[in-house]
Amino acid sequence: MSDARTLSIAAVLLLCCGVLSLSFGASWIPPSEAMIALVRPDGMNLDHILVNSTRLPRTLLAIVVGACLAVAGALMQALTRNPLASPGLFGINAGAAFCLILFTSVFSLSSPEQWLWCAFLGAAIAGGLVWLIGNAGQGSLSPLRIVLAGAAMTAMFSAFSQALLVINQDGLDTVLFWLAGSLTERSLSTAAPLLICSAIALGGAWLLAGQVNVLNAGVQIAVGLGQRTGWIRLLISVLVVALAGSAVALAGSIGFIGLVVPHMVRRLLSVDHRWLLPGCALVGATLLLLADMLARVVILPQEVPVGVMTAVFGAPFFIALVRRGGRYG
Amino acid sequence: MRLMIAAAVTALVALASLCLGKVVLSPLAVLRALFGEGDQSLVFIVEQLRLPRLLLAALVGAALSVSGLILQAIIRNPLASPDLLGITSGASAAAVLYLSSFAAVLGQRFIPLAAMLGAGLAVLTVYLLAWKQGASPLRLVLIGVGISALLAAATTFMLVFSPLSTTLSAYVWLTGSVYGANWAEARALAFWLLALLPLLVVLSRQVMVQQLDDGLARGIGVRVEWLRAALLMVSVALAGAAIAWGGAMAFVGLIAPHIAKRLVAAGFAGQAAMSALSGASLLMLADLAGRTLFLPLDLPAGIFVAVLGTPFFLYLLIRQRH
Amino acid sequence: MGLLAWRLLAPTAQAAPPMRVVTLFQGATDTAVALGVTPCGVVDSWSEKPMYRYLRAALAEVPHVGLETQPSLEDIALLAPDLIVASRFRHERIAVLLEQLCPVLMLDEVFEFERTLLRMGAALHRRQLAMDIQAGWRRRVARLRERLARRFADDWPLTVSVLDIREDHVRSYLPGSFSGSVLDQLGFTWSEASRAASGVSIKLTSRESLPVVDADIFFVFLRADTPSMQRSYQALVGHPLWQRLRAPRRGRVWQVDGVAWSLSGGILGANLMLDDIERVATAAVAS
Repeated sequence: MSDARTLSIAAVLLLCCGVLSLSFGASWIPPSEAMIALVRPDGMNLDHILVNSTRLPRTLLAIVVGACLAVAGALMQALTRNPLASPGLFGINAGAAFCLILFTSVFSLSSPEQWLWCAFLGAAIAGGLVWLIGNAGQGSLSPLRIVLAGAAMTAMFSAFSQALLVINQDGLDTVLFWLAGSLTERSLSTAAPLLICSAIALGGAWLLAGQVNVLNAGVQIAVGLGQRTGWIRLLISVLVVALAGSAVALAGSIGFIGLVVPHMVRRLLSVDHRWLLPGCALVGATLLLLADMLARVVILPQEVPVGVMTAVFGAPFFIALVRRGGRYG
Repeated sequence: MRLMIAAAVTALVALASLCLGKVVLSPLAVLRALFGEGDQSLVFIVEQLRLPRLLLAALVGAALSVSGLILQAIIRNPLASPDLLGITSGASAAAVLYLSSFAAVLGQRFIPLAAMLGAGLAVLTVYLLAWKQGASPLRLVLIGVGISALLAAATTFMLVFSPLSTTLSAYVWLTGSVYGANWAEARALAFWLLALLPLLVVLSRQVMVQQLDDGLARGIGVRVEWLRAALLMVSVALAGAAIAWGGAMAFVGLIAPHIAKRLVAAGFAGQAAMSALSGASLLMLADLAGRTLFLPLDLPAGIFVAVLGTPFFLYLLIRQRH
Repeated sequence: MGLLAWRLLAPTAQAAPPMRVVTLFQGATDTAVALGVTPCGVVDSWSEKPMYRYLRAALAEVPHVGLETQPSLEDIALLAPDLIVASRFRHERIAVLLEQLCPVLMLDEVFEFERTLLRMGAALHRRQLAMDIQAGWRRRVARLRERLARRFADDWPLTVSVLDIREDHVRSYLPGSFSGSVLDQLGFTWSEASRAASGVSIKLTSRESLPVVDADIFFVFLRADTPSMQRSYQALVGHPLWQRLRAPRRGRVWQVDGVAWSLSGGILGANLMLDDIERVATAAVAS
């Protein structure tokens, strides 16, 4: 199957999931009714209120976050040339979590809007630090070193968070849902700046895809082809931080998508990043949507944290793909 | 030479751990307390609280570190650690499950057993799923990552939906702590590690071969698969036991081998000894910090492993030129 | 070994008090104060650190021995206590060590505050006092129960929901929780959905699920008293789904003290709960 066809199938699938996501939940709202709610909302109709006030925001959020995480993962794996790299490896999730916990427990910030910016700030700081250390000492960024620095920084930030949470045990109770990943009750107006930021970053990633291909071929070849590898790497790093940082700020720590979706997509499409990255975005968004839909209904009236659901949902898939072999033989 | 220095440092850390705490004792006073002389509450503190706790920390640190070293060799990936193959996540999931569902009835003494079972089962699952005319390192890791993610999700789920009181105990366990260690626990772990030691010595000669390409290793007549399975088993046994008693402080297993590798040249025996020493001192130091820095709070050692280990590791990383 | 954790050595020593007691969980600290014993060491509280406000006056000078999850053993040893009150769930691992110091009273269910009261009363040689306190508690509950029944007349018994409002979710405490057990004694009942759920609470992350906690009366507390917390509470209260629930419609939403209702776990905290509920019995409509 050609890459273009695979991509369009993925797009259609995503669209279907998006519509279904408006219907799915504690009560089933028929897709037709959900569509009417979008076009001609009736302020007195409870179903319409539900669709517009809770289901639409979380659906959009799931799509954006899923796409961001998957693309960030693909870029990260290309940048470090390590199949185990995930956006979390830049210390982003750990940095975001630490910043959030620090600000909520020390300065008792507690509105979701403030959480958003805390988390993004933490993600950016952690990402920047890892990049600096990965670059320190010698001229260009070494994949091995950035991986190790990232793992070490992740561990350090997590340790700080753990320290704060063990001391301020009430705080653990507060941030636990966030740590497990959550798409509920975010208002689109507060999330708007980050949504725009991630959209720009997604576009930027796609523009950079050709360069990523060159870089992926190896540093020597890239330099031989006249690529200014240092700059490209810096750009990729900035994109990863922007993408994964917004994702973690919007939806908390959702761990699995960034790592696994690139592997899945590589099995479905060619290794050309111009196809791979859009594919990752579509598959990532679909996976997160599906996970979120399931998360809403499996243990009614409560909800499974979506970060849990992505793993439950994605892991068997991933394992099956690895077993089918191909590139991993 | 460097090994000697490391051993001396470890001994020094151990001594400091015995001296420092709520009451600061001189080395002489520690010695007297060890022989049961002097104030009885001091004797209790040194003999029953500090010494077993110190030993347990050292053993847990050494075991995790050596396990990490072996895994990094078989997986041929510097990110390999007991985390990756599902050892930590399996143990964590089992321990948290036990805490939230069975601890109320059965009490807490079976947590180590549950954790070990969990670790073993998780790795077995990973290995079986990765098996396809052999278990290639990359497949092992990727499937390990998948299973780990699944188990971590299960752990998170239980944490989120347990009552706060369970969540907090589980969280301390997940952070990793040698708090409340007693002689029985230290002895049990020591026996377990001693039993593994001969196996480790036998296999140690072969570890370096594992770092070669599979084809190349077969070429010089090594039975790659068997060796890999055996090494995997040893590292699971090491890490599983350590986690069973010390909680999920897997960062030691990632970072201590790297510190060791930067301090001694190639050669498995040397690196293993160095790893064990650096893991042991890292954890003893972390535990010392955890129980003295914020008195009267006694914080889990797992927190300080990363706080102490990371700057040192980053320093080594930056200083080294490729 | 584990089964016989509470092994008081000398019941003959009637004239023993005052005793040096270290309490290792919140309900035990609360109960010790209720029994008129000032512990010689306590652990940090969960919120309102370092100690719940309602206990602060009684425990002003008392040294802390660290966190409930990991109390500092060296501190405890140096306090040379005569009795340690611990929770089996939390402290079983260190029981071996604690028992070398002094007798340990190990309690299984930390939220069964009446049991905690009686067992601590026995261990502290204040058996009679503990029984008097319990009798007083029972009388107070019976009186309040009657008043509530009169006050709500035909509606009684009311179904109740105890809602803990968080920034990102709403938690409803079930009959099995501390506050649930007190409300149960008072004769409140729970809706079908709440009775069916197991555990001590259900956590609702999506407002869509609010109908699950529908009841005749709500007791509500906010985790933190911050402006943003207030805002998110107001947003919840303003939501169409909330306004369709029975308690809001009939003006029966009461704000209460979260520490007493969810974190205290002792007889004093339970009495504070009754203070809150007495307001309900007296007032005509919710504030």
